[in-house]
Amino acid sequence: MNIIQALSIPFLLGGFFFFLAATIGLLRFPDFYTRLHATGKGDTLAVLLSLIGLSVYEGFSFTAVKIVFIAVFMFLAQPTSTHAISRAAMRCGLKPWVKK
Amino acid sequence: MTRLTDDIIIRAVARIMIPFIQLYALYVIMHGHHSPGGGFQGGVILGASFILYLITHGLEEARVRMSELKAGIFSASGVLIYSGIGLLCLILGSNFLDYGRLSIILKVIPAQARSLGILGVEIGVGITVMAVMFSIFFDISTGGIILEDEEIKEENG
Amino acid sequence: MDNFFLWLGMGLFFLVLLCLYRGVFGPGVLNRVAAISAIGTKTLVILLIMGYIYQRVDMFVDISMVYALLNFIGTITVSKYLEMSGEI
Repeated sequence: MNIIQALSIPFLLGGFFFFLAATIGLLRFPDFYTRLHATGKGDTLAVLLSLIGLSVYEGFSFTAVKIVFIAVFMFLAQPTSTHAISRAAMRCGLKPWVKK
Repeated sequence: MTRLTDDIIIRAVARIMIPFIQLYALYVIMHGHHSPGGGFQGGVILGASFILYLITHGLEEARVRMSELKAGIFSASGVLIYSGIGLLCLILGSNFLDYGRLSIILKVIPAQARSLGILGVEIGVGITVMAVMFSIFFDISTGGIILEDEEIKEENG
Repeated sequence: MDNFFLWLGMGLFFLVLLCLYRGVFGPGVLNRVAAISAIGTKTLVILLIMGYIYQRVDMFVDISMVYALLNFIGTITVSKYLEMSGEI
């Protein structure tokens, strides 16, 4: 295990930490819009960090470039689907949660 | 012509994505030998790109790009490619879909002729699957009722 | 390094089971859509880690790219339908 492969461990651990934070947010937040914040932002950053870590582990090859393509696609597509879900909730009249 | 319920963010992102999704679908069809993929899987991804266009841009604009007539012609021509290659092998004096005899026309060794024959068949399958998937989704979303151009002009006054 | 990937994959699978709770018990259908999108994202990373464990990465990269595409298209389709039908 050389130095380049050891460099991928912090990226993977950071990605797992953000996945854990996003899942705890999805379970414990009080309202739908706050849960959408947690899973939309946390999951995107976690996937980006994990995919960068996995491509660094691979080294300079064609497979690493393909993994970077997946990361760019997720960076564009995940916020768009979050926006689509929240727009559907807004159009149907779901009210945000107010702290009493 | 944009509907009231179309969102500009989703339309812009879908416009960027769709050419790359189609390029990836062609890659999956062509690389069926060496990696997971092949004709049917690539055809499904190609059909999914057209369905994404239909969802985000509305029915009328999707009909401009790929009408019912074009979908029917594509699905028939895919089957034509498949059975045409099989009949070509039959004409050259061997069994149906025996690609080795294609080496007489193509002037390569029989093993390479088999590889090229399978590639041609996969392309035919991919085109048919794409057209049928789009046609099924289109029929379900319109319910079978399609207004022709003159009736739309009559309705709008 | 193999052991590290194995523990990471099992931890991510445990997170998928936690997200499934919101998918079953979410009040209303929109909560369930958000949970399924999150499960799809985690599945993508689990597939790549499995590719590293079996040492056939170039096969699993194509599969995970297709899954990312279909997750995106499916979420947009379902949310568009729910917006038209007016059900939360």
